[in-house]
Amino acid sequence: MSGYELLAPALAECGRERFTGELRIAGSPGGTVHFRDGLVVAVESPGAPGPEALLLRSGRVSGEQWTELVRESGGSRWPATGLVAHGYAGAAQLRVVCVMALHDAAFAIAAGRADDCERAPVAELFAQVAVGESPTRLLREAARRLAALAALPRPVHPDRERPVPANGGAAGPHGALRGELLAHADGRRTSRDLAFRTGRGVYTATVEVARMLAEGVLECPAEPLPIPVLHTPPDGQGVHPRTPERPAEPLLPPSPPIPAALPRRKPGGFFRLRNGIPK
Amino acid sequence: MDHKALALEMRSLREQVTGITDTAVAAADGLLIAADTADSIDPEGLAALAAAGLGLARRTAQATARGTLRRTVTYGSHGCAAFYAVGDTALMVVLGDEGMDVDDLHRVTQPTLRRIDSILTEKAAEGV
Repeated sequence: MSGYELLAPALAECGRERFTGELRIAGSPGGTVHFRDGLVVAVESPGAPGPEALLLRSGRVSGEQWTELVRESGGSRWPATGLVAHGYAGAAQLRVVCVMALHDAAFAIAAGRADDCERAPVAELFAQVAVGESPTRLLREAARRLAALAALPRPVHPDRERPVPANGGAAGPHGALRGELLAHADGRRTSRDLAFRTGRGVYTATVEVARMLAEGVLECPAEPLPIPVLHTPPDGQGVHPRTPERPAEPLLPPSPPIPAALPRRKPGGFFRLRNGIPK
Repeated sequence: MDHKALALEMRSLREQVTGITDTAVAAADGLLIAADTADSIDPEGLAALAAAGLGLARRTAQATARGTLRRTVTYGSHGCAAFYAVGDTALMVVLGDEGMDVDDLHRVTQPTLRRIDSILTEKAAEGV
C-alpha cells in the first residue's frame, strides 16, 4: 500500500495513545518516526536527507568539524549544543532545519511504499526538535505536499524518474538550485538522490525536477543507461581461481640455519681488554 | 558469462536499496569486470582498492582470530563504501550515500552475491 495509507492511521493512533518510542515503517524508502508523549520529535528515512546531511552537504559544517562535535558531545547522534556553541548554526536556524527535515522525511515515507509498521519502546529517545510536532499536523502537511506534487503538469515520484539535461544542458541561465540539479542529473539519479547530492530537501528537489521536466530543461531517457561490462575474463568463460603454471619458487633465499642456542661468551675477552688484566 | 544477467543484477540491487549510488564487480585480483558508476568515480581504481581492502581485512580477521570475513564497510561523512567477496574469485563494491540503510543493504545483498557468483562461474563450472 502507499506510505500515506499506512502512515495516517498509525500516526494518529500513536498520537491518541500518547505513545513514547519508535514507530518503524518497513517499505521503500520506509523510515522511523520517534514519539514523545504522542508528539513527533524526529523522523528518519533513507528517502530524505536528515539535518546532519543537510548541514554537511551544504558545506555549513565540514566532515572533520562534525567528527569533532560528536566527540565533544560524548558520541551524541545530534550534537545540537556544540553546533550552536561553535557558531556553525544559530539556535533558531537549527530549529528550522530540524523541523524542515522532519516534515521532509514524513513526506518521503508517505510518498513511498509501506509494507508494515511496528512500535518499539526505546531505552534512549532520539529527538531532533525540543517541541514535538502533532501527528495530525504532520500528516496534513504530508498530504498537502503529495497533492501539490500530483497537481504539477509533469508530476514525478521522488524515487522513480532519473532525468538528464535536455539539449545537452544548454538551456538559459538558472538559479542556484536549478544549476545544481542540472549539474548532477546524469540519468542515474532520482530526485531523492539529487536531494542528498545537493543537500536540499527531497520535496524541494522533486518539485523542481517536475517543473524542469515540464519546461523541457530536463528529460527522462527512454531506456536506462547501459551498464558496460568492461572486462571479460581472459578465456571469456567467467572467473576461476588462478592455477600457477609451475610450482611457486620461494621469494627469499633460504635463511641460514638458526642455532639451537646462543653462542657462549668466551671468558676473558672484553673484561680483560677494559681492565688491563694480563693474560 | 552472461553480461546481460550481470548488468541486470547490478541494476536491480541499486533499485532495491534506497541510497545506493554506484556498484562494481571485479575479479578478486582487482581487475574490473563491470561498473555501474557515476562519471566522478574511477571504476578501475575502485576495483583495485576493493581488492586490496578485502585482502587486508581478511588478513586482519585471521590475525585477530575474528573468524571468516563477511564484508568491509568504510563510513565517511557523505556515505559509505561496502566491499563483499563474491565466492573465492571475485568481489562486489557498493557505494551509498548517507541515507542508505546499511543493515538493509547487507540483507538484500546476500542473494545477489550468490547469483552474481553463479553468473561469473557458470561457464567455468561447465568446463567449456
